[in-house]
Amino acid sequence: MHIVFYSTSDVFKAEEILNNENIECKVVPTPVQDKAYCGVCVETSDEKAKDIMGDMDFEVLE
Amino acid sequence: MIYFDNAATTKYKPDEVIEAVNYYLRDVGVSPGRGSYSLGIEASRMLYKSRTAVGKYFGMSHPERVVFTKNSTEAINLLFKGLLKKGDHVIISCYEHNAVLRPLQDLKQKGIIDYSVISREDLGLEADTLLEKYANENTRMLALTLASNLTGRIIYKEDWMKFFHTKGIITFVDSSQGAGKLALNMTESQIDFLAFTGHKDLYGIPGVGGLCCESKAHFIPLIQGGTGIHGENYVNPDIFPEGYEAGTLNMPAIWALKTGIEFITAHSDTIRREEKALMTYLLQGLTDIDGVKVYDIENERVATCCFTIDDLSSDKTISLLDSKGICARGGIHCAILAHEAIGTVESGAVRISLNYKNKKAEIDQLLDTLRSR
Repeated sequence: MHIVFYSTSDVFKAEEILNNENIECKVVPTPVQDKAYCGVCVETSDEKAKDIMGDMDFEVLE
Repeated sequence: MIYFDNAATTKYKPDEVIEAVNYYLRDVGVSPGRGSYSLGIEASRMLYKSRTAVGKYFGMSHPERVVFTKNSTEAINLLFKGLLKKGDHVIISCYEHNAVLRPLQDLKQKGIIDYSVISREDLGLEADTLLEKYANENTRMLALTLASNLTGRIIYKEDWMKFFHTKGIITFVDSSQGAGKLALNMTESQIDFLAFTGHKDLYGIPGVGGLCCESKAHFIPLIQGGTGIHGENYVNPDIFPEGYEAGTLNMPAIWALKTGIEFITAHSDTIRREEKALMTYLLQGLTDIDGVKVYDIENERVATCCFTIDDLSSDKTISLLDSKGICARGGIHCAILAHEAIGTVESGAVRISLNYKNKKAEIDQLLDTLRSR
């Protein structure tokens, strides 16, 4: 899945959070959508990832 | 050459900082928040790491809430012009740099805000007395410099910050002088906003500063343009921090700033000890010279001081020192309020601002030159 954010800064905050939790992830270009997000997002296959994003504004693209 | 103008810019940067600039230019060289290829992503990751390094250094609860600008002047303008509204009142000290005074005066002349200046005599007031004397029903902000860029006196008071914050008044610190020399914790001290610049005590290079935003109070961007995100919008997106950082960031300087902060963190005890010893030695030497008057000598300070000489104007003193290879600064120092406060508008003053790498022998050369004038 892709976890997408409006802010690029939040992408790397998310990456930091996931790395700290030993959740495998990768920052990749955001899949093209009808709604605009920032140009990069977090890709991960770990379902736990979306539950530990705190108060960040994000969406999950399955 | 002897360099005593560190309050303007620290001339001698740690090798690590210079190498950080070289590394970024040589091995990265692209801008963050633009291309989503691997190198562009790495640049964005370096920006995030730099942002949080700054935020952690200043004790922020959310260290990523840092907006990068080109210097503290731009950061101060961003906050004042983006946050203050018609009718607002601001309290500042009489030691503020023109970077604080001028945007406020500009807003005042446009009929938008008013401000009051805490006199030199009132800098020792208790917070509640200060509030009673200077605040009114429209007071929205207390803005203080961390330290005077003229005399080196520490102006910031933690108890003022905490008290005004509890009264719902926004607290702001201009840390241009003193960041890197004094430890600040925005969370504990209830500092809502803090402006910093990279090229002075944080040992970065010119071209980077920023605004630390502990408060989530909304303010509007200073400039409009490309932000790297939401390019479909006709104006900057209302997204923090990118919406406030239109235009390409000075990433080599930002990466160097991160390295400078790491250097300071690792060497803070040495820096403070060396600078305190050098300043004590300098102040003693200056006060022993006939005709020399040192200002704010009795106050807690950073490694900056200023003086006047009875029989030699500040400009001639600077020329004399320059003839001996000594770099110091005279004139008004972009601090007209401070000169008004200490009574040196007509004469100007000579400022000496030290760095831990200065030597006692260099101070001896300065003192000998003044003695033999």
